[in-house]
Amino acid sequence: MTSHWQVWLYVAAVFIPLVAFATGVLFRRWLRSWIAWIATGAIFCSFLLSLIGFLGFIPHLKSSHGESSQSDHAQVAIPFAWTADFEWLDIGSRLLPGLESEPVKGSLPALRIPVSIRIDALTVVLFVMVSLIATLIHFYSIAYMAEDPRYSWFFTYLSLFCFSMLALLASDSLFLVFMTWELVGICSYLLIGFWYEEKTNVQAANKAFIVNRIGDFGFLIGLGVLWTSFGTFSISEINRELADPGLRDAHLRLTRPTATHGDPGGLVRLSSRDQVVEGAGPGTTIPLFVSYSALVVAGLGIFAGCMGKSAQFPLHVWLPDAMAGPTPVSALIHAATMVAAGVYLVGRFFPLFTHEVLLFIAYIGAISLVIGATVAVVQTDYKRLLAFSTVSQLGFMMLGLGVGGWSAGLFHLVTHAFFKSLLFLGAGNVFHAVHTFEMASLGGLRTRMPVTARMMLVATLASAGIPFFSGFYSKDAVLASVLQFAEFHPGHTILVVLPLLGSFLTAFYIFRMWFLIFDGEPRSEQIAVHAHEAPRVMTLPITILAIFALVVGYPWTILPLATPVVEAWIEAAEPLAAMRVSAGVRWTAIGFSVLISLAGTVAATLFYSRFKLFSTRSILSDLKPLRTFLFNGWFLDRLYRLVFVLPVLGVARGVGRFDHHGLDRLVNETARTTRGISKLGDAFDRYVVDGLARGIGWTLYGLGWLGRLIQTGQIRTYVTLLSVAMLGLFVAVYFWIR
Amino acid sequence: MSDDLLLSLLWMVPLGGAVLLLLLPRAFVGAARMAALGVTLCVLCLTLIVFVRYVSGDQAPIHRSLADRAADNFLNSTNLDQTDAFAGFLTTDAVQVIDAPGDLVVRRPWIPYFNIQYYLGVDGINLGLLTLTALISVLACLASWNMDQHQRGYYALFLLLQASVMGVFLALDLFLFFVFFEVMLFPMYFLIALWGGPRREYAAIKFLLFTLFGSALILIAFLILYFWSGDASATLAKVPFRAHSFDAPLIAKVTATTSYYGPSVQGAVFLLLLIGFLVKLPAFPFHTWLPDAHVEAPTPISMMLAAVLLKIGGYGLVRMAWPLAPAGAYSWSMLAAALGAISIVYGAFAALAQTDLKKLVAYSSVSHMGFITLGLSAMGLFSSTGDALDPRYYAYGVVGANYVMLAHGITSAGLFFLVGVIYERTHTRDLNALGGLMGVMPVCGVLGVVIFFGSMGLPGLCGFIGEAFVILSEFNHSPWIAAVAAFSVVLTSGYILWAIQRIWLGRNSTWDGLHDLTPREILIVLPLAAFTVLMGVAPQVVLWWMQPSVDSLVRDLAAAPTVRAVHETLNGLPSSQPVAAERPHHAMRGAKAPVD
Repeated sequence: MTSHWQVWLYVAAVFIPLVAFATGVLFRRWLRSWIAWIATGAIFCSFLLSLIGFLGFIPHLKSSHGESSQSDHAQVAIPFAWTADFEWLDIGSRLLPGLESEPVKGSLPALRIPVSIRIDALTVVLFVMVSLIATLIHFYSIAYMAEDPRYSWFFTYLSLFCFSMLALLASDSLFLVFMTWELVGICSYLLIGFWYEEKTNVQAANKAFIVNRIGDFGFLIGLGVLWTSFGTFSISEINRELADPGLRDAHLRLTRPTATHGDPGGLVRLSSRDQVVEGAGPGTTIPLFVSYSALVVAGLGIFAGCMGKSAQFPLHVWLPDAMAGPTPVSALIHAATMVAAGVYLVGRFFPLFTHEVLLFIAYIGAISLVIGATVAVVQTDYKRLLAFSTVSQLGFMMLGLGVGGWSAGLFHLVTHAFFKSLLFLGAGNVFHAVHTFEMASLGGLRTRMPVTARMMLVATLASAGIPFFSGFYSKDAVLASVLQFAEFHPGHTILVVLPLLGSFLTAFYIFRMWFLIFDGEPRSEQIAVHAHEAPRVMTLPITILAIFALVVGYPWTILPLATPVVEAWIEAAEPLAAMRVSAGVRWTAIGFSVLISLAGTVAATLFYSRFKLFSTRSILSDLKPLRTFLFNGWFLDRLYRLVFVLPVLGVARGVGRFDHHGLDRLVNETARTTRGISKLGDAFDRYVVDGLARGIGWTLYGLGWLGRLIQTGQIRTYVTLLSVAMLGLFVAVYFWIR
Repeated sequence: MSDDLLLSLLWMVPLGGAVLLLLLPRAFVGAARMAALGVTLCVLCLTLIVFVRYVSGDQAPIHRSLADRAADNFLNSTNLDQTDAFAGFLTTDAVQVIDAPGDLVVRRPWIPYFNIQYYLGVDGINLGLLTLTALISVLACLASWNMDQHQRGYYALFLLLQASVMGVFLALDLFLFFVFFEVMLFPMYFLIALWGGPRREYAAIKFLLFTLFGSALILIAFLILYFWSGDASATLAKVPFRAHSFDAPLIAKVTATTSYYGPSVQGAVFLLLLIGFLVKLPAFPFHTWLPDAHVEAPTPISMMLAAVLLKIGGYGLVRMAWPLAPAGAYSWSMLAAALGAISIVYGAFAALAQTDLKKLVAYSSVSHMGFITLGLSAMGLFSSTGDALDPRYYAYGVVGANYVMLAHGITSAGLFFLVGVIYERTHTRDLNALGGLMGVMPVCGVLGVVIFFGSMGLPGLCGFIGEAFVILSEFNHSPWIAAVAAFSVVLTSGYILWAIQRIWLGRNSTWDGLHDLTPREILIVLPLAAFTVLMGVAPQVVLWWMQPSVDSLVRDLAAAPTVRAVHETLNGLPSSQPVAAERPHHAMRGAKAPVD
């Protein structure tokens, strides 16, 4: 594989934060708070390098499918990428030459695990996005965390996170993705439990990590199945083999092959792996197959990992609790970057997912977006509200990918990253001023925190999907994909209804939040009296983010006529020519989208703004059971505790008890029995064997004793005995003769 | 220094040290620990010399397999009658020693009457374990610094333990191996029974009896191999083979190239060796001696037990059970893999239930040791069409198993030491009573968390590489067993995170005023933490010298004719002839051949 020098830009961008991390660990004592600046500088360097990389990539930012797939449908153009492979692990390659007289000798490729890096359009865009947001959040944290006693540790962890996240984006090997996947998970754990003195924070951190590990259990299974099936971890190589249009149906979805033209059913033929048989005439090849069921298992497994990381139902429960971490962490890790990694991986590995798996992804996304939105509507803690909103938005992205809107889903990832991190940082500003997350005691902060309020309004508009704000364009793209999919597959109309409901609720809850915090009059004067605008260090990042939250979705003309610029860039990396949305569908989607989000906004205005017409009190008291149900996140936490956590702990206790009272008892009883048997043997030995020996001895002794009685040494006795014996003898002889 | 002397010194130096310590006059008792430390450091230096000799130079032993090197050193009996090999050894005086210098193999007659040799050798498989033993001995010796009762006896037994463990790892003669294996019991028994906790007699006798039970089975297996008369046509280098040998590489060569030992006798030998070494490993259901031994043993002895003594079980599996009976291993591979997976999950569940920190770590050892069994038994040796040999995936399993041994040696020593440190200060190991130590002992906390995460198998730390390899390799053998083993990632993170939380995190004013690690303690933990990171970030540090030996091991296992015979019987294939090249082969195991 040729390697491009540009890859080194990205290698540097990945490793600079690692250097900052190492510096932080080793020289924390001497550098103290300077570590904050080192970490910020490091990620800023990464940002600059990503920007240079991006500028260099611009000539290649053209979709390769647009033209070629029309004319030549048989061949999928491989998206342009800068790639490089570095030897890392290579086990057993020296093994094969030693195996003689084997028919396939030499034709088996060695199983290598290289460090492979692949920079395509998607990576380029995400690198800029991640490093930019991370830089801003580092900068923000310098002020936000200033009072914290573990200030330097905070930045050290952030640097480790940046390294892992960027490495995740750059790697093309699924094995490396898994490693970095776990690493971002551990950073998330460390940062959620950053204030580990509080038990609840630690529990939230544990929960986040363990729930993610449940997903990773699936990931590991997917990893194993793919490794066994393909003998490689290279995502692009597996993609290339599975992107073959010959394997796919009219909508380019991978479906179970039927037994046709000589190939058996249920097997996917990898034509690029056909091996030429030596000496068997030209064109004689050995076809290579992968079982379709294995692809389904692998796809579900990998997606399970993505469900964990991207907080999708039913593994989303960790994300709301993860808000226990410092707010900049929530913004960076639990809103903009790490939680999007699952969506990113689904996109990156898109050709792997078969039709059934994609449907599963779409449904999981739709369910998550509805659950997230319904729960967000009733939250009173604005940070938790934003967390559920993240679940919902990530569901949107998954839905988009699941229905085949590849670029739409990933485009929403980018726009969401900007407006959601802005919302979190704004929330951080509010918390910094009022020291509470409860919206019930806020209100009227508009005048006291004007910059924050205005920037938050931009993010609110963007996430509600109001036209001319970034969220509108991406949400619209997802909706269009869903509509197009429903047109192809009319049985799945529910996939249209759920996101529409979700969009309405999103507009409603996000405006509800803004109104409750910033609009009207303060509900608690002693809280509001301390409210003040945040320092410049904290308002500057959110201002920059607000600009991006506004413009990042724009097409060149701003009007929603052409494909938005960023979406077009991402499209250049599309692994297979995915769904094209027809113009009619696009206009329908725009219509729905505008109407629904305006409806949600208006509803929120009528209920919560200072122009409100309705009081929520009576409605809430009528719907109290529903509200409790939603407020507690559909009681899923309690359900899981009952169905999973307690049984697992029960089994653990059972095993512990079995070990102690079962196995160990068995061992002890065996020992006791052995001792019993040996006691028995001892008794036998003592009383029977020894007894016999002693019995003989005693008998002989007794006889001897008796004998001794007559050996008195007195002549008279001897003579008497002799006479008696003689007499006896005579009597006996007499009777015998007679 | 000739390599013969060098290898012998590895076990003789600690043995000599033990004797010297016993002769130490009462007046110099205080010097005992310095002397012991000196001896262990000396052994560490010798091990490093062995390491350097093993890898450096064009003619370095690393380039040739142990069996090839062993064949250069041989005992030539002038009076040997080829038709009755056993009779030839009655003439004890006629044995001539041929010794190749610098190849790290030592071979001398020991008890010629029974063809027993003094036979030591080093390759990539035991090199790591020797180094680990030497390193952990130094650290455990440092950890014993505050041991003040019967110092001379303690350190003498400690050195005797080290000598016997080094001997076990070095020995290539089965009888010699067995002797070292048994000698090891004696110091260990007394170290637990005399310096242990309240139930020390119980724990010590339990340890002793369990191991004796295992070693009896091992001895039976060795004797079967010794006395078996099998396929009379089997030859090795054109010399007919007639058993009556304890030469492990020779028997491995015989099983790898001939059918002298048939599949059924190999099956029996394998099961005996498997159970014998699983007791030592330990694996479910033979593990119950371990938690008791750990709980009662003093901290340094726990370190030795977990880091080194358990590896003897793993090493026995790698060096004896699998190579001496490959067909047996192949036919019982599902059972062995299932035992491995059960150990992994059972150990993790049991660890989750513990409230005694030391027991938790002990059960986590049971769980981790399961990966050794599992990796070795991931014998998916044939491609999916069933006839072509494809041991590529298996190589990952064996490398993984060997890697787990070293990684666990590092992390478990660190964990037991930290448990000791915490117990020394707080006088409790109850997880419900601990907590909040991060605030008062930050250095201990940070290093401890690193080692705990290493034990959890976090990528970038040492536990991950081996366990990931084993699980991935097992998918090519049995996906179901692999999935069961993979489930342990959830349980492991559960008990590790829970333990971290209940030791270090939270708030607890009871511990105010406890002092952090002393420089001596940092000196012990820091190398372990450093290796935890190094072996996770750069596995090549270990793999480059380990791999050639593992490759030749895997090649011998895979190419054994008896393995193919078993495979053909199991799958109802026609008996072995080179298979037609036209047959398509599939990437996916279990995929059916296309119907032409």
